[in-house]
Amino acid sequence: MNNKFYKRLFLLPGLLLLIAIIIFPLLFTIRVSMSNWNVSQSGLDWAGGANWARMFQDGAFWSSVRRLFYFSFVTTALQYALGFAAALFAWKGIAARRFFRVLWLIPLMTTPSVMAIVWRSIFREDIGAANGLLSKVGVDPIAWSTSIVPATVTITIAEVWQWTPFMFLILLAGLLSLPKEQFLSAEIDGASTWRTFWSITFPLMAPISIGAILIRLIEASKIFDSIFNLTSAGPGSATETTAYYLYTRGLREFQISYGATMGLTYLILAILTLTILAQLFSRLSKPRGI
Amino acid sequence: MTKIFKYLFIGIWSAFVLAPISWALVTSFKPPAAVNNGATFIPWVQFAPTLDGWKDITGISGYANLFPPLINSAIVTFFATLISLVFGCMAAYGLSRFSYGWKYYKNPDIVFFFISQRIMPPAVLAVPFFILLQKIGLLDTKTGLVLVLTSGLMPIVVWLLVDFFNQLPKEIDEMAMLEGCNPFEAFVRTILPLSKPGLTVAGMFSVIFGWNDLFFGLVLTFTNVQTLPVAVVALNGTVTPFWTLSASAIFSILPLIGLAFVVERFLSKGGFAGAVR
Amino acid sequence: MNLNLRDVSVEGDNEVILGNISYEFQPGKIYVLIGRTTSGKTSLMRTIAGLIEPTDGEIHLGDVRLDEVPIWKRGIAMVYQQFINYPHHSVLKNVEFPLLRAGVSKADAKAQALAMIEKVGLTEFKDRKPSQLSGGQQQRVAIARALVRNTQVILLDEPLMNLDYKLREQLREEFRVLFKGTRDSVTIYATTEPSEALFLGDELLVMHEGRIIQHGKPNQVFEQPSNIDVAQIVNDPPMSILDGEIKDGSVQIGKTLNFALPAHIKTQSAGKYKFGIRASEVILGGSASNSEQGEVSLSEVSGSETLLYVKLNIGEIVLQLEGIHDYQIGQKVTVSIAPERIFLFKMDGSLCAAPGN
Repeated sequence: MNNKFYKRLFLLPGLLLLIAIIIFPLLFTIRVSMSNWNVSQSGLDWAGGANWARMFQDGAFWSSVRRLFYFSFVTTALQYALGFAAALFAWKGIAARRFFRVLWLIPLMTTPSVMAIVWRSIFREDIGAANGLLSKVGVDPIAWSTSIVPATVTITIAEVWQWTPFMFLILLAGLLSLPKEQFLSAEIDGASTWRTFWSITFPLMAPISIGAILIRLIEASKIFDSIFNLTSAGPGSATETTAYYLYTRGLREFQISYGATMGLTYLILAILTLTILAQLFSRLSKPRGI
Repeated sequence: MTKIFKYLFIGIWSAFVLAPISWALVTSFKPPAAVNNGATFIPWVQFAPTLDGWKDITGISGYANLFPPLINSAIVTFFATLISLVFGCMAAYGLSRFSYGWKYYKNPDIVFFFISQRIMPPAVLAVPFFILLQKIGLLDTKTGLVLVLTSGLMPIVVWLLVDFFNQLPKEIDEMAMLEGCNPFEAFVRTILPLSKPGLTVAGMFSVIFGWNDLFFGLVLTFTNVQTLPVAVVALNGTVTPFWTLSASAIFSILPLIGLAFVVERFLSKGGFAGAVR
Repeated sequence: MNLNLRDVSVEGDNEVILGNISYEFQPGKIYVLIGRTTSGKTSLMRTIAGLIEPTDGEIHLGDVRLDEVPIWKRGIAMVYQQFINYPHHSVLKNVEFPLLRAGVSKADAKAQALAMIEKVGLTEFKDRKPSQLSGGQQQRVAIARALVRNTQVILLDEPLMNLDYKLREQLREEFRVLFKGTRDSVTIYATTEPSEALFLGDELLVMHEGRIIQHGKPNQVFEQPSNIDVAQIVNDPPMSILDGEIKDGSVQIGKTLNFALPAHIKTQSAGKYKFGIRASEVILGGSASNSEQGEVSLSEVSGSETLLYVKLNIGEIVLQLEGIHDYQIGQKVTVSIAPERIFLFKMDGSLCAAPGN
């Protein structure tokens, strides 16, 4: 029936446009990962799995993956906890909550790379605000960019500041659209705030929480802007995550083939992790009968 | 007890949110001495504010001018968002109302395909996009950048809107079809008017992610086109004094701050209800 | 033009949704589809409308092969169970919508819409949005939209189901008036309630498990249900069915229920049978020979009647009593049956004899 025509009309333009834009990059990446592309020469040779073998033995790559897991999971967890708390408080019951909603949304509207530059200026050991304030309360200046732990902390702070509002927004929107009946009965039964939260609010928000966490994990894994502008993966390579490593090897050093190989590995790892997490989450949210 | 915790949290979090912005704001008005000799915080008390930083970035002092990049960012973001919204909402509607594919690759898999476009780090895609744009002569153009950004923004639109459309009762478009609308007319006449919340959320996220793109702008444009984040980061790359950098930071985040107000108003009017799952 | 269904089937994943439906609908009549909730009434309507594609069979409207025409060209109006209106349009714009789509000029559309809105009694609400109306009013808007086009086929899928009792009665009356004008259309109305079917229908189709198991004039079907399934469906509360036998010229149901063969069963042979009795025709009390003692298992007040479910040795029986009565669970009561009102069914469920008039 003509139904088929319309069915295609809706999906195909967007899908085909997307495929048209990414098909070449995708195929190119696959092809080039199996060659040794030297930018100055033309033509692609065939190196088979050489790049892949190299990657498996590349300690730096796997360290970057480890750091990546750390950063993305830790920052996402923090963002979720803080974002949820903020959403709960901005939901109802406090005065001037509209003001706070706007205020707490602002970091999401800022440009991450630009804010990273600002954080850099805050964490400068000599003239930055961080050490300046610390000295005022009598604490020794911290070596923000030359010690591993402080450097990691600066990135974490920048990421949490930047992306908690993302969680905040989605969770608040979810809270605002919850049906009121369950809360009324909890109130009548005299449930405490804490209890109400754990037994009613949190479970009801499960689907939205899961969606938000997964999406945020996808974005967090690509973490680049803050590392590029704040620590340049320093000190040494203490804050070097995979996206940055790819950038160095692949673009700065023109090892494009190798970069492609790592990129594809990253893609496979990411899809695997996400699929496992998605299954895990959906199983976790089932037993309660939601 | 909970009350104390509540106000403590609100206070600390708000201070945290404001901290870097107020630091950048204050620093943008500092003369050299106030920056280079250690951290200073309070204007008029610890230093005398100047407009040097601002003169530097608005082209007045001849150092740099951030207005052209601002306009570029606006144009690129606008078109990328527009295309993503149009094609994305059509695709999302199709995925909501029809069932595509065959036994092993159905609608949820197609949605996953869209979402997976956002997984690949820009670093990997940069080179092939570079080659692609060069081949079709769109390197260093706004059009080229728009196309590349669209591939990253359409997935967001589709993800958000599929859920949203699933919540709009399909009986409404069925009724429209029974009353003489072909599926496209039914979509435009009955579903779109009801989709303002969803489209707004999708549009908002598109604008945010599009505007703030650094990587593709960095790699795919150089002389003819420069977007705002790229321009600011370029300033950071050369030896630029902190007061200028801070001014550029404030300059680049101002445009979207207004968006925060729009989003909040929208949120409070229940506009998001059903827009996000 | 006649609406003709030939062998229409719809197969689901592991089930038959519609099985070999063949029927010819004529314009000017109100056809009532009656059946339980999953009997396929909605599926049949959606298939006629084009929202479901049949896996087999053909649908013809006049000489047009309807199942090959896309939904938006079929010219069929439908009223859903849920109140479906366009939320973003006022009542007036809602009713104008189908006319404008059909190519009617703006002025004419407005005039016709206003006339129809008047017919359903909503003129003072014409500029309101559906969300500002009550359930009954919303459904009237939906009905107005369905009628305003004078389509050849009008489908109504349990339109009164989501309304309260009083509204249902009121709207049912209005229906008869409203649908008098649709002489050229085939009107098909689905319901689960026998009283609605008897009140509205010119012709009754009984549906069960995706098939039409009986059709005919409502009174006819009511008095001569062709099998137990039909008997259950067209009676509310369902007919009580008890096992028994005909032996030595009398009816024996259970231990104590024994009476001489009534006139309409006299000609039946001996053997095991299933006996049916309507709830309204079970009598409370009675003398020893044709009554049975039992315990009340449930007492339900419905409207201005009481339904009494009584557990007997031989099975469960339902009584419909006028007025509101208070019975306790476990209370002992005596029930009896008037022999002339018994329905006789063979063990396979088909009808043997029905009470004469």
